Amino acid sequence: MITVKNLYKAFDGNPVLKNISTTFEPGKTNLIIGRSGSGKTVLLKSILGLFEIDKGEIWFDNRNLVLMGEKERKILRREIGMVFQGGALFDSVSVEGNVRFPLDMFTTMSNIEKQKRVEFCLDHVNIEKIAFKLSPSEISGGMQKRVAIARAIALNPKYLFCDEPNSGLDPETATVIDQLIQALTKEFQMTTIINTHDMNSVIEIGESVLFISKGEKEWEGTKHEILNSGCQKLDDFIFANKLYTQMKKGQ
Amino acid sequence: MGFFFHIGRYFLMLKRVFARPEKHKIYIRQLFLEIDNLGVNSVWIVLIISIFIGGIMTIQFANAMENPLYPNGLVGLGTRDTLLLEFSSTILALIMAGKVGSNITSEIGTMRVTEQIDSLEIMGVNSASYLILPKIVAVVLIFPFLYILSVFFGLLGGLITGPLVNVISAPDYIEGIQWLFHPYYVFFSIIKCLFFGFLVSSVPAYFGYYVQGGALEVGKASTKAVVNTNILILFFDLILTRLLLT
Repeated sequence: MITVKNLYKAFDGNPVLKNISTTFEPGKTNLIIGRSGSGKTVLLKSILGLFEIDKGEIWFDNRNLVLMGEKERKILRREIGMVFQGGALFDSVSVEGNVRFPLDMFTTMSNIEKQKRVEFCLDHVNIEKIAFKLSPSEISGGMQKRVAIARAIALNPKYLFCDEPNSGLDPETATVIDQLIQALTKEFQMTTIINTHDMNSVIEIGESVLFISKGEKEWEGTKHEILNSGCQKLDDFIFANKLYTQMKKGQ
Repeated sequence: MGFFFHIGRYFLMLKRVFARPEKHKIYIRQLFLEIDNLGVNSVWIVLIISIFIGGIMTIQFANAMENPLYPNGLVGLGTRDTLLLEFSSTILALIMAGKVGSNITSEIGTMRVTEQIDSLEIMGVNSASYLILPKIVAVVLIFPFLYILSVFFGLLGGLITGPLVNVISAPDYIEGIQWLFHPYYVFFSIIKCLFFGFLVSSVPAYFGYYVQGGALEVGKASTKAVVNTNILILFFDLILTRLLLT
């Protein structure tokens, strides 16, 4: 479980996150939604410790990230998997090498054990063996995202972070990625936080949804409650797409 | 103000670069890859440039020393000392700053803008050390070897060109390159190579590591890295020459 309490972050005196408090539960896909520039990525990177926050607390179960030293943070980070918006796969190594990298770096596994783990992870995200030796530039965007997910779960993380995991993908592939993240979250009981502005993802996998606008928490609930939230800013965000207006009207 | 900011951040980066590596075995593997990528792949350009410059210097020395009072061997001596003292260390470092330096900046800069560096940090890897340390060690190790190759092929260039264009005979040239040889010149230049190797790898790495933006900014960072490295090479050349040679 990840708990954020009264988080405040400013850049050059301009507040980007204002007093955000929330809880992200394990075994659930927790979504952070909001317009571009609303502070989603800053919130995600603050939770990850990539940005130092100005005020507040960030708890990973019973460990407060804010009070951790560099050494403790390094240990914590080995329990974190991250899927970046662009995949962020290492160009210089193959698909297999990307998934193997954290195992080489942080485990004492034998080569055979590592190979088994790599195959296990890549199988889980439906990457065929023929693609194992290819370089990231030789595979499609959807496959790159799946490889990024495989790399993120290689060390069996307790916490999984995804920054707009289906951006730039066609709707069908985006749904596959969403479902894959949800399935892995359930299977490994991870605390998963997904940053998105894609309403399809919300409807597909939004078990817990946090809506932020201009750095403030505006609404929190589930995908079942979102169409009738009573939050004007959230309605403006959702119903910018006419499809969801029609959904609300039951058409 | 910006100058001091960059100096401070450069040294903070170096502090992270020289932190204890997470896993030595992986760093050693990276080191060999970098020696191949940055060093061995540069051998051809060093050979080609050195042969041509050796030949050109021989012709120019021969022209400048046409006076019959000068012994013919001076052409060989002049070529040798220019190669030993300046060309094969400093000029080569300037050339390598263009080749290796821009390669380092663009590689690390691209990793930064495509979030690969963030990805390493989130895994708990010291990205500065993992990406930069093997490059610095590789370039510092390979530079003295490139220097020796450059001197040898520069002299060879003179030996081929001099008799070919009929400005000096091969025996005169060979005799000249053996005159008044100071082994200290080689030691001095190897010290310079170690300094320059460090600059050629660490300064471009700094510009790549802290780049922000996209492809355009990576390109600009590469240019800045090469320009600043060149200035620093010449600055340290002046200081080292003053300290070690005069």
